Amino acid sequence: MPNAAHCALPQRGAHMDSFIAFFTEPLAQAFMQRALLMSLLIAMVCSIFSCFLILKGWSLMGDAVSHAILPGLALAFVAGIPLMVGAFVAGISCAFLTGYVKENSRIKEDAAMGIIFSGMFAVGLVLLSRIETDVHLMHVLFGNVLGVSMEDLLTSGSIAFLCAFIMFIKRRDLMLFCFDPAHARVIGLPVKLLHFGLLILLALTIVSALQSVGIILVIAMLIAPGAIGFLLSRTFDGMLLVAFCASLFSCISGTLLSYHFDVATAPLIVVIQAAIFLLALFAGREKHDQKA
Amino acid sequence: MIDALFEPFTYAYMARAVWICALVGGVCAFLSCFLMLKGWSLIGDALGHSIVPGVAMAYLLGLPYAVGAFFSGLLAAASMLLVKQKTKLREDAVIGLIFTSFFAVGLLLVSINPTAVNIQGIILGNILTISAGDALQVVIISLASLLVLVLKWKDFLAVFFDESHARSIGLPVRGLQVVFFTLLSATTVAALQAVGACLVIALVVTPGATAYLLTDRFGRLICLAVLFGAVTSALGVYASFFFDTNPGGLIVSLQAALFVVALLFAPKHGIYAKRRALRLAAAGGAHG
Repeated sequence: MPNAAHCALPQRGAHMDSFIAFFTEPLAQAFMQRALLMSLLIAMVCSIFSCFLILKGWSLMGDAVSHAILPGLALAFVAGIPLMVGAFVAGISCAFLTGYVKENSRIKEDAAMGIIFSGMFAVGLVLLSRIETDVHLMHVLFGNVLGVSMEDLLTSGSIAFLCAFIMFIKRRDLMLFCFDPAHARVIGLPVKLLHFGLLILLALTIVSALQSVGIILVIAMLIAPGAIGFLLSRTFDGMLLVAFCASLFSCISGTLLSYHFDVATAPLIVVIQAAIFLLALFAGREKHDQKA
Repeated sequence: MIDALFEPFTYAYMARAVWICALVGGVCAFLSCFLMLKGWSLIGDALGHSIVPGVAMAYLLGLPYAVGAFFSGLLAAASMLLVKQKTKLREDAVIGLIFTSFFAVGLLLVSINPTAVNIQGIILGNILTISAGDALQVVIISLASLLVLVLKWKDFLAVFFDESHARSIGLPVRGLQVVFFTLLSATTVAALQAVGACLVIALVVTPGATAYLLTDRFGRLICLAVLFGAVTSALGVYASFFFDTNPGGLIVSLQAALFVVALLFAPKHGIYAKRRALRLAAAGGAHG
């Protein structure tokens, strides 16, 4: 990257220019524009979702569903249907199978989840290595936000936008369901519907993030912002706002910095989120100490 | 015909991979009995991902990978404890947050210097291409763990399932817990080589859960689990020679298939057996 050296030049009066160039230079490239837009959309939907998952205690459900979509991709390719549909169906079936095994056997939920998602992931690996597909395993695992096409941006973006919209509109009901399902049932909310709705939204969100951050790091995107919000805010709306801002900041800075320093984008975004979490952890602790 | 079946063993790397995997699979299966019953299944997953930055670092610096992995696993465990103490976040969120962050650090390290580290090997396992030194580390770790487990499994059983009893008979409870988790981390490091970071969880959960559907006694549970773990691991590597696929994927697919068979057809705790028992009870009730 030639501009990394350019930025570091300590010329007088050039500080402002290089500061602006830090933003404008990457954004002059079409692929960087798409990458930034994509990561913004993913940041939005994942940050909203992470707040619900933190409250519900479903953080590891994201882990399971995201690993489980692998065989869906391979089978969808064979069947000639859109890959995203296959991924979605596989993700959702992992969640349902976990529920089924837990209800119908003496296996605990965490073990059932671990067995099913690792089994599905393994089957996916075997299928992908046996079938000639245009699914690149490393791209599925780690995402490739810099290689996002306009078409990907439109499909993933509209899914992400739809999920974020539904969650934002229904945030009161979903929050009550996550926080206190018994109470939600008493006041007549359709608890079963909310449960399945949230699972479906989870699978959709993961599928939409597949292109940009990949199935392993999307788990971080689905936990860290909510955890940051949880530490810094006392109300749910505040938590949503903090999570959203933290996620937005890490996505923008991660994408730009990865361009300048020539490192992988998605891991950098996650590492920045973790750094923000650490800051929040120690900031929150000081406040607590002062009170005590 | 027979020659074709034995063909994999004529290659030194295949023969070595088969028996190393059997060993690792057996030790992991031993541990899975405890993890599965305690509800700690996802700790295996978290450890498997958390050691990735350590492995990447070790390869970058030319250290033995086990050292890096072990250090990084320890750091992850300490961070989880710290975050758990400092916040009211749920345990699952803390685990998820820490292991994904560690994993991301690992990937970042790899992306800084992609040629030095075989990332595909870390994620998917590299038992077929494992170097002699790494193989030796895996074997030593596995044999040592197996030895401790065989000698001490009754003590671990007491410590984890009846702590007050363990204290009353004078077992060093805290010490045994530390030993157990050290064994778990060490075994995870070995399993990483066999099946890769994403599938470590299967080795330390599935065999135990499969055995749990077939027996009610802990001694038998361990024997069955170790048998399943070792046989599926060896068979997976062996079959990968013919199917030309990733051995880790095949091992875990086999384990999952075995679990499904047990889930459906186990004589007492299987789904069909339960249905039949229900039907009989209903029929008996109607009759009586």
